[in-house]
Amino acid sequence: MEHAFTPLECLLPAAALRACADGGANRLYHITEGSQENFLPDYISGDFDSIQPEVKEYYRVKGCELIETMDQDLTDFTKCLQILQKKIEKKGLQIDVIVTLGGLGGRFDQTMASVETLFHATNITPFPVIVIQECSLIYLLQSGKHKLRVDTGLEGTWCGLIPIGNSCESVTTTGLKWNLTNQVLKFGTLVSTSNTYDGSGTVTIETDKPLLWTMAIKR
Amino acid sequence: MEHAFTPLECLLPAGNLKFCLLILNQPLNKGHFHCLWSKAALRACADGGANRLYHITEGSQENFLPDYISGDFDSIQPEVKEYYRVKGCELIETMDQDLTDFTKCLQILQKKIEKKGLQGKHKLRVDTGLEGTWCGLIPIGNSCESVTTTGLKWNLTNQVLKFGTLVSTSNTYDGSGTVTIETDKPLLWTMAIKR
Repeated sequence: MEHAFTPLECLLPAAALRACADGGANRLYHITEGSQENFLPDYISGDFDSIQPEVKEYYRVKGCELIETMDQDLTDFTKCLQILQKKIEKKGLQIDVIVTLGGLGGRFDQTMASVETLFHATNITPFPVIVIQECSLIYLLQSGKHKLRVDTGLEGTWCGLIPIGNSCESVTTTGLKWNLTNQVLKFGTLVSTSNTYDGSGTVTIETDKPLLWTMAIKR
Repeated sequence: MEHAFTPLECLLPAGNLKFCLLILNQPLNKGHFHCLWSKAALRACADGGANRLYHITEGSQENFLPDYISGDFDSIQPEVKEYYRVKGCELIETMDQDLTDFTKCLQILQKKIEKKGLQGKHKLRVDTGLEGTWCGLIPIGNSCESVTTTGLKWNLTNQVLKFGTLVSTSNTYDGSGTVTIETDKPLLWTMAIKR
């Protein structure tokens, strides 16, 4: 990974709960080099086949909860999300969104596994789950109407609507440079990529089936 | 080379014969129809054949939608044509008057068989020495109803692959050096390349 997108500076004070999925703990440990004790996750979960022994020991000694999850049918990401939801409920936390760092780079099959987790997420948690890595964000839109504010100043230029896993018979948008009206989105027919915004600051999307929203994050 | 072929095999209820069904504009035998429809890989109507299909499936036409209807459309009833159009069936108008609707339907069918790779079975050699450890099968864009593999550590047998149900990621090889994949719909193969 050449450029690290590091939202930790602004996110950490605001995050209600912080977790690592297995080797995610390695990433946290190295990116906070020199002051790891100021960036302790609430828990680290996974089958622990990726986390480095010294990293695992460091966080254990510091009092972070280590939760071993042996289920091989589910990814570390999915299992981490299940645990997160239980903790949110147990603590009675008010949450707007679950932010996932990583999951979109390197191995194509693991990027697809991240998308698969987003499909399962609807059955795990009622809160929106977004995945961010480097300059990309993905967010799975369920069928229905959605309004996305894109005027934080952190938006990059490109965005897209990807009918991953299933085709969509009817997609309608506003706020994009190339809007869609009752459009079929389907691999082999039309996939909206390299789209951008019309400057209004808001994007609305109406879809009849799950549809993956993806957008650029400014460096 | 001797070609072995069993003409009536398609009418047998059991078996794995791969065939496509073309419906022409003549009375349909209900018994044959249901047996053939359920096992066909691709189903098409030539012009007025769509009328025959529409009427024999009265009451549940939506469960018997052809993949496409082709022809010069001088026989298909307007309401039948409209019904299948709204339901998303491909309508392919073929104006060539030198060829019959049947012939033209067959030409289109052959293109679709080639395009879809409906032979279905793929054999991948993975013994170049350049293969990395991971591989996967991704039902991107559409679900697959039936995927069967050999040569993988976690093989599939008539398995549904679908986002939200099952996606094969972080798979690997069984060491045999060959992977075979049989799929009913387009399926994305992905694999690691050794650095």
